[in-house]
Amino acid sequence: MQILWFLFYILIFPGFLFTTFAGLLLAGIDRKVLARMQRRIGPPITQPFYDFVKLMGKETIVPDAASRTAFLTAPVIGFVSLIVTAVVIPIGNFLAFRGIADVIVIIYLLTIPAVAIIIGGASSGSPFSGIGISREMVAIVSYELPLILVLLTVCKKAGMMLSGGMTFSLSDIVVYQFYNGTMVSHWAMIPAAIAFLMIIPGEVGTQPFDIAEAETEICEGTMAEYSGAPLALFELSHAVKMFVMTALFTSLFISGWTTGSIVLDTIIVLAICILVTIISMTLPHASAARLKVEWLFRYYWKIVSALALVSLILVWCGL
Amino acid sequence: MKVAISNLFSKTDCERYPYVPKTAPEHYRGRIVFHPEGCIGCGICERVCSPQAISTTVVHEEDGDRITRVFHMGSCTFCQTCVDFCPRHTIEMSKDYDMVVTNEDDLKVTGTYFKAAKKPAPKAVEAAKPEQTAAADSAPEAE
Amino acid sequence: MFKKMIDDCTVKSPWIYHINSGSCNGCDIELVAVLTPRYDAERFGFKLVGTPRHADIIVVSGPVTSQSRDRLIRTIEQVPDPKVVVSLGSCPRSCNVFKGSYSVEGPLDKFVKVDVPVAGCAPKPEAVIDGLALAAKILEEKRRNMAK
Repeated sequence: MQILWFLFYILIFPGFLFTTFAGLLLAGIDRKVLARMQRRIGPPITQPFYDFVKLMGKETIVPDAASRTAFLTAPVIGFVSLIVTAVVIPIGNFLAFRGIADVIVIIYLLTIPAVAIIIGGASSGSPFSGIGISREMVAIVSYELPLILVLLTVCKKAGMMLSGGMTFSLSDIVVYQFYNGTMVSHWAMIPAAIAFLMIIPGEVGTQPFDIAEAETEICEGTMAEYSGAPLALFELSHAVKMFVMTALFTSLFISGWTTGSIVLDTIIVLAICILVTIISMTLPHASAARLKVEWLFRYYWKIVSALALVSLILVWCGL
Repeated sequence: MKVAISNLFSKTDCERYPYVPKTAPEHYRGRIVFHPEGCIGCGICERVCSPQAISTTVVHEEDGDRITRVFHMGSCTFCQTCVDFCPRHTIEMSKDYDMVVTNEDDLKVTGTYFKAAKKPAPKAVEAAKPEQTAAADSAPEAE
Repeated sequence: MFKKMIDDCTVKSPWIYHINSGSCNGCDIELVAVLTPRYDAERFGFKLVGTPRHADIIVVSGPVTSQSRDRLIRTIEQVPDPKVVVSLGSCPRSCNVFKGSYSVEGPLDKFVKVDVPVAGCAPKPEAVIDGLALAAKILEEKRRNMAK
């Protein structure tokens, strides 16, 4: 009986179907709002659904110089790890799988899709992919540091109240916010929240931080040789990553409330995710040009890390 | 960033083309319209056309020629030189810009006209002319 | 059931790849102007992609020159099925003013089967939108025939 419930969690509710639907919806809203900001009409909100279905119907071409197994399994690995991450994130008051060290698991799981892109690009056998993967490696190194700093800050804040030390469990963080108000209402956590908002577009890989998938510069970089079903999986993991990151932000900083029914909780979490997407991903996309690799590195390691460090020091001093 | 947020709440600038028809502006150089009844067959337009998009076919008939001029829109640069050089202003450019076709022949603008041959002068006039000149010669001789 | 869904969605999101084989860039500017806010083509789902492997519609502008002939044929072969070739302007049609030059090989019909010709020099953006809409419909038909 328990196995059936687990299968339900993995495949349907915060698992395969729900995250696919939510991710594609977020991607569609992002494109539509971007178009409105540029004073044009823009595609319908369901456009990423059409894109995904159309790509499943195209022919898959594997180039001669590519290694077949790695080429075809790289997108699957990235997508599956994203689904596993989504299952671990709480939505409202509901958590499918609880554990003692959720946050550490999430840190590890969030690097796997980026590594999958690198494997896919390295096995393509084209010079454009080679440039793409070297840039993607620089991008991973640059946004991992502020991400870990922000997560440590939140864990320390939640742990001090509950056990005097540090906690790594997401359910503890939700419980802390239930008793003490949301994290954003403590003024020492606001720099950490802003830093996390700046990490989201870098992690997801949307402009102005999409140096690894630069469309016009290097013929789409790591995805240059993909076509058909593997490309559909890569686009899908790009969209699902948007949902995973914004849901993580919601559960870390704006969680702890509950309205009693799961359906209402989900709808409110989705609304907050849409708002976070617009503020952190669409606004920079519409206002800035793509950052070069050196500037990306400098931006993340100087400005964003400084914000996260300020929060960490304040929390460690007891505030 | 302020521009992006303010644009979010203003109307779009977009022209809704396929649902709202659009006419080209004044003096737009679109598809050629050829009026064959004024053509005199001088051939200046054919010589002046830079991509050599105009061709003429002549069919000799009993009392004249049936001349057909073909303007190939798939090769035209729309430079308006033929319009400027035509002495009788029989070529003009309309505002039609929609030239997406599935059939090759839709791109050819043709015009056919009939050019009657010159009638030979009647013999009486020819005979009268030497008489006249003889009379003109004899008049000064008489004087 | 999935086949029908795929067929229906193929016409709603055609992705464009643009090849310039020796053109004067006038038609290229008109094509990019179609994606600007004034004649927004993205509301129909069109998206300009950076690599031929992602594309459905290939838009070629310019007469085929000797230097670009091999590369043009190789690039068009890299596009996965189903694909539609659109020739933009009068240069791929009949080499316009460049006829008979020492480096121009000929019209595009000689090398690749052209599905939708858009004539004009340069075609107005509304005519380009018409051509792209026709290309999307032909793409759906090709997808239907491919499944059989």
